[in-house]
Amino acid sequence: MTDTAVLGRSQGMVREARHLLFTVTPGAAWIIVFLVLPSAYLMGVAFMTNGPYGLPQMPLSLDSFKQLAGFGFLGWSPGNLYTLLRSLWQTLVATGLVVIVAYPIAYYITTCRAKWRPIMLLLVVVPSWTNQVIRTFGWMNLLAPGTPLSSVAESLGLIAPNMGLYPSNFAVTLGLVYNFLPFMVLPLYAAFEKLDTAQVEAAQDLYATPVKAFWHAVFPQTLPGLLAGIVLVAIPAFGMYVIPELLGGGKALMLGNLVANQFSGGSNWPLGAAGAILMLLATFAGLYAMRRIGKRLGGGEEVVI
Amino acid sequence: MRKRTLKRGLSAFWWLTLVFLYLPLAVVVLFSFNAANSAASMTGLSLRWYHQLFANDQIMSAFGNTLVLALTSSLIALVIGCLIGYGMYRHRHRKLGWLIVLIYLPIVLPDIVFGISEMAFFVKVNELTGLLGPGLGTMIIAHVTFQIPFVALIVYSRFVGLDPSLFEAAKDLYASPFKRVVHFMLPTIKPALISAFFLSFTLSVDDFVISFFTSGPESATLPIYIWGAIKKGVSPEINAIATLMIAAVALAALASLVVNRRKA
Repeated sequence: MTDTAVLGRSQGMVREARHLLFTVTPGAAWIIVFLVLPSAYLMGVAFMTNGPYGLPQMPLSLDSFKQLAGFGFLGWSPGNLYTLLRSLWQTLVATGLVVIVAYPIAYYITTCRAKWRPIMLLLVVVPSWTNQVIRTFGWMNLLAPGTPLSSVAESLGLIAPNMGLYPSNFAVTLGLVYNFLPFMVLPLYAAFEKLDTAQVEAAQDLYATPVKAFWHAVFPQTLPGLLAGIVLVAIPAFGMYVIPELLGGGKALMLGNLVANQFSGGSNWPLGAAGAILMLLATFAGLYAMRRIGKRLGGGEEVVI
Repeated sequence: MRKRTLKRGLSAFWWLTLVFLYLPLAVVVLFSFNAANSAASMTGLSLRWYHQLFANDQIMSAFGNTLVLALTSSLIALVIGCLIGYGMYRHRHRKLGWLIVLIYLPIVLPDIVFGISEMAFFVKVNELTGLLGPGLGTMIIAHVTFQIPFVALIVYSRFVGLDPSLFEAAKDLYASPFKRVVHFMLPTIKPALISAFFLSFTLSVDDFVISFFTSGPESATLPIYIWGAIKKGVSPEINAIATLMIAAVALAALASLVVNRRKA
């Protein structure tokens, strides 16, 4: 290699590095300053003491985590623990229901004629383009006491007279399923579209029952889509704020409400920050678990959302 | 035989699901024309809530805030996101794992953690420097933060889909990097830029949680106004605003359908 070539190459490298710096820096700096720093600060807040106006103060302590576990001025109370368990339970039930509804829908769309499929997908997705608050308000209108749905539930003896279906835990589950259905249908549809039908036919030729054919020939092939869907549904569902706040009516609080209330009422920032840390841990644990499961069962690369 | 019953069952399930998906929206639209001040019974049709809506200064200013916020943040995010998307493409052979993590962070972070982090941070900065008081400015910053990743990923995937030899050709054709950007790069990624802008705009209008925690007393957007009205006790005006927002979404859906048709 001649000197000029080396020089040319190093000049090129400098130019490339400058190019990288110029294109990437604004965005990276923006996210670091306006998201990484704030999150780091919030985590710091969790280890501070609650001041007189709900604002964080020195000295550092673990009080907020103790409070999150239920230890308050008046001794231990199970309130926060119930909220945590309720968040987990609601997430599990809602995700399960979403899967049950989304599977047949995603499959049905793939069986329809190609020219209808984009329109059908659009029909599934469009409601989620409207604002979450509005969608939830729609359910409030539908489930309030005195509405046809509530009257039917009342006459079936499912709810006490004049109570209405909302506010309740049931309404929150329904709201979650409604909110997240499209996020499961889309990845499952993508998986079904790529489905190798030869495997299904082979299973049928070997006299597999429909259940067995589904379990051995269809399910493994749609697994990457399912895992992606679970990530898209379960993680935001666990931290949901709007739906439990509006449809739960204070009796069905989830972790998101516990956290938000510490900030919107200005009551206890360190406690809210501790809750946020828990939520972050759950988020990253969920992402990690899904990647592990995806890798073990093959097709792990596709699970990257 | 069994296949036909299955297909019929699935079709019935599909229509039921559609009813489930559109019923809450339909109820909002229906009650926006209700003559009575009731969320439980329709007494007749009227446009009175729409008249009240346009006479309500708070709603009009919330509408203005929503538009200003969505437009400004989308434009800023478009520029920054486009740059970072191109950088990711051009330097895709380098190890940019940290950058990918950084870009996915705003997407995977739960809304509520995102919102309160920003709020706590803005309050602290405001306390120390007097800058970044809560208002449209802080909301724009927060919105740009969650829009950048989507713009970057859309632009990036557009570049990845291009034939690499195009870049060589452009290099031969246009000597100056500036001309290359204006005559080759921007026209080629125009579809990606348009869809990135619309996605950013929609994300901004759709957002409630992050806006709620970064807003100031004067900067309520429509979702924040609606939230407040619901919390104070349901006012039928909400149905009217919500209906207008649903109509905007329906128009956007139609537009996307027409655009996709033309492409096909």
